[in-house]
Amino acid sequence: MATTCSVTISSDIAPGLGTISKSMTLTKAGTINDLEETTGFSRRKLAATTAVDLITMANELVDPSDNTAAKVYVRNIGDGKGTIDKSQYVTISIGDTGGTPQEIGRLYGGDWLLMPLTVVNDKDVVAAPSTDNTVVLEYIMFFE
Amino acid sequence: MATTTAAVTLTSDLLSDNISVSASSTLMKADTTADGLDMVDYGVIDIVTGDQFDLLDADNPSSSPIAGVMANKANKVYIANHATDETYYVTIMIDAQNVGRLYAGDWMFIPWGAEDANADIEITASTGTNKIEYALFHQGRTLDAS
Repeated sequence: MATTCSVTISSDIAPGLGTISKSMTLTKAGTINDLEETTGFSRRKLAATTAVDLITMANELVDPSDNTAAKVYVRNIGDGKGTIDKSQYVTISIGDTGGTPQEIGRLYGGDWLLMPLTVVNDKDVVAAPSTDNTVVLEYIMFFE
Repeated sequence: MATTTAAVTLTSDLLSDNISVSASSTLMKADTTADGLDMVDYGVIDIVTGDQFDLLDADNPSSSPIAGVMANKANKVYIANHATDETYYVTIMIDAQNVGRLYAGDWMFIPWGAEDANADIEITASTGTNKIEYALFHQGRTLDAS
């Protein structure tokens, strides 16, 4: 039961930069045992600039619920009908929509992220589109 | 146009049917479809236990090898922990908010808003020495006058 993630970053910004490439197997905190739980692969359509919880930690019943080795993948796939607007973005943050979530950054059309999470309650994954135009996010979280 | 592509492949057999997701994105400057990110800062550094360090400082050129990134743009950050002991990890924080842990062998790739002077990407090692590889793709920063 394994989950693996590989990244390849290629760039011609500088001739000597080369390619960054790395693969990881998602394991439980401090061990070589594989992560065993997932939210499953999901899709969420947004059509307003209101910040919403993409993943609400309290609803995922993550145990232990503090600083495990969880990872989340999110991708902005445009309007979900094949049109990807590279100028439209979704701001991804971590926190509680009732408070002031900490911004991670802007996920423009076609962009993706993969990052660790604490999975602590109220450290939700929050998404806020830049416009009212329809934008669709694909996402999945893996945890212990 | 400078061209930088970031591709990810994710596979998992946790569900009844295997998951296989692939995505590739060309990293563009903010709000444009015609101009790619054309600047990069790259490094490898040992992070030792003890203090919390600014790996990427959002505004202060004197306290970090990389700083002054233009705020609210399309910056992208790659960080990998090349430690080999599975018990080693670094905690990644932004503006003192805990994002998560990068255990030995883990990597992350995120957009970075650098939305204000406090939005630094901070790193703390749990134990031992963690060799950290990082890259920041961006569209400009303020240089520190000598």
